[in-house]
Amino acid sequence: MKRLPILAAVCAASLFLAACGDDASSDNSSDNGLSGAGKTLNVLVQANTIYPEQQRAWFTEINDKFKAQTGAEVKFETFASANDELTKIQTAVLSGQGPDIYSLGTTFTPTAYATGAFLELKDDDWKKLGGKEAFVPATLGISGPDAEHQVGIPFTSRPFVMAYNTEILGTDKPATTWDGLLEQAKKYTGNGRYGLAVAYADGFDPWKFIWAMSVQAGNPLVKDKKASLDDPATLKAYQTYLGWLATDKVVNPAAVGWKNAQAIADFGAGKAAFLPMVSATSKVTLDKSAVAGKYAYAIMPTVPPGATSTASNGVAATSILSGDNLVVAKYTKNKDLALALVKLLTSPEQQESYYKTFGELPTNATAAKKLQSDPALAAIIDSASKAAGTPFNGAWSQVQLALLNVVVQSIPSLQAGKVDDAKLKSLVADAQKAAQDALDKQK
Amino acid sequence: MSITTEVRPATSRPATRKRRTVSRRQRPLWMLAPGGVLMVVVILVPLAVALLVSLLDLDQYTLREWTGAPFIGLDNYVEALTDTPLPHAIWISVGYSVLVTVATLPIGLAAALATQQRFRGRALVRSAFLIPYVLPAFVVGTVWRTILQPSGPVNAILGEQHLWLNGPLSYWALVVVQLWTSWPLVYLLALSGLQGIDGEVHEAAALDGAAWFAKLRYVIFPYLRGVLGLGLVISFLHNLNNFTLPYVLFGVPAPHDVEVLPVLTYVESFQNFRFGLSAAMAVLSLLLVSIPLALYLRAVRLNSDES
Repeated sequence: MKRLPILAAVCAASLFLAACGDDASSDNSSDNGLSGAGKTLNVLVQANTIYPEQQRAWFTEINDKFKAQTGAEVKFETFASANDELTKIQTAVLSGQGPDIYSLGTTFTPTAYATGAFLELKDDDWKKLGGKEAFVPATLGISGPDAEHQVGIPFTSRPFVMAYNTEILGTDKPATTWDGLLEQAKKYTGNGRYGLAVAYADGFDPWKFIWAMSVQAGNPLVKDKKASLDDPATLKAYQTYLGWLATDKVVNPAAVGWKNAQAIADFGAGKAAFLPMVSATSKVTLDKSAVAGKYAYAIMPTVPPGATSTASNGVAATSILSGDNLVVAKYTKNKDLALALVKLLTSPEQQESYYKTFGELPTNATAAKKLQSDPALAAIIDSASKAAGTPFNGAWSQVQLALLNVVVQSIPSLQAGKVDDAKLKSLVADAQKAAQDALDKQK
Repeated sequence: MSITTEVRPATSRPATRKRRTVSRRQRPLWMLAPGGVLMVVVILVPLAVALLVSLLDLDQYTLREWTGAPFIGLDNYVEALTDTPLPHAIWISVGYSVLVTVATLPIGLAAALATQQRFRGRALVRSAFLIPYVLPAFVVGTVWRTILQPSGPVNAILGEQHLWLNGPLSYWALVVVQLWTSWPLVYLLALSGLQGIDGEVHEAAALDGAAWFAKLRYVIFPYLRGVLGLGLVISFLHNLNNFTLPYVLFGVPAPHDVEVLPVLTYVESFQNFRFGLSAAMAVLSLLLVSIPLALYLRAVRLNSDES
């Protein structure tokens, strides 16, 4: 009788090991080389909710092309949300098995780099991809901490711009300073219409505004493992951003509950003059909306609030460096095949057809050049070249969350029609502490 | 069963005991092995790993070689209790869970009593009562999020601009939505309890001329005590552990007033990558949920001893 628990434990252990073993053996176990017959590459990408059918067709097309080229099959897996993605990456990192190639958002690349689970590209590897020169230089800005240590291969570019209603603005040109934008927003607010459509409850948008206004005023937020979220420039950024709704009243009060999609919908209904912080993907929604044909894109202001020019130590960033990077897992047993697939995905032809199908800008220099002449894209391409990378730091996700948290916790006081400076300062101080703590833990 | 006890002579007791020991020895315990293995793999192994992780400084930098992460003893627990919003989160979580649990009791009971008697369309009403319970939490969260938007139906009906999804009112929004989705559990259990009451009991109460309230108070309630106790414990644990609803309703980072324990644990793990700290929080919340559970099990055991 006493043996039973032991027996049970042994059974459990063997079952557990067997289960693990099964998983491992179902992975690709073969030598390197480009004769990929019988091999399968697994690729994890974000599910495209705007073009689901086109995405499925694209999966098949890539699989067919790659099979013809190397004999290997490509199996795409999709994740639905950033959290879903994170969970999958964590599982793979922890277990050392999973997809061979991942498509990651640019701001998540530093965290992925910090895990050390992804292939650092050596000169040889870049050569296999056609060389670094094959890519638009700016897009490489968030591939790694420096030129020698890069994990991310730029795949798509999604710079942020602002949309404006050409019917409301008439002959007015969109402002190039945040103060100017506020003046215009005030001018166009009234008659049930608001100057700006801003998504205060979005999980990402708010920190992008704060980051942009901060770097323009010369505060990079993170430098040499030091956080500077409590810098006056950043406080001013918060006051400006929150003030739009609370004191300037150029934003619909309901915007405290909006996510990005709701702001786009509001602008699409013709109820706002400007829609800052959107990418080219908003085009799909807007072209089907009431403002179809009555809107245009412009780059966002690059002059920080309260100033007349970008600070001398500031960066005239129009947008964060946004888009997707491809990373190859270190544990992959098919490194060369994986690089060959990345080369295919970043080739001029593929990048061009990807843009035509999904509206995401190419990172391939040749493909990008071809699009430069398209007037509808002028502002977006302009923004792509003026975008700046967020700090390449393994703790950036935490800093980002701390920046966002200030906005989340400030929202209740906005209804009172003022920005509570004392409360804002204490929230910013908390954020600074959280960010610095995260940076101190960096290894 | 009562007959055998009466008939059994006092002298036969040692013999019975002996036979029982024999049969206990011969019980085919090995047949428990499949279930036992499953328990070990599904519950004990992850629990042990969680305990281990809670003692490690595991983050995005050490994740890949997680067994090599620095062992820091109870530092994660100390940090969780002194340097994070955990105490506040426990206060919020327990507070709202108690409120919701207490409020589900009268509602669930009333609904069960109302549908106890036969009437036309009873089946339809009974099914309708279950809708909030069978809807996935994600759907409930999304629907209520829309309802509670600043420009949503609730504010339109009230004719006032209230902020429901952030600020002090968000706490009450969470209470109301959680109540809406969890009362049918108490209703279901109360209904099953009511159906378990023998018809003769009702008859006897009627013969004794008991008024409806006296009947409810002295006849029906005692029968329901066990099943309602179970309902309240399960309901409390559900509320305390509910992640999806607050996550979908309020998003992350959660507004201060609704920063509940599961969401905080999630944020530490999946947004801040502090896996060790998050595991320590999870272990602390396990301790927290084991309190009502222990109380309940104790109560059940006392009951069975009495009988």
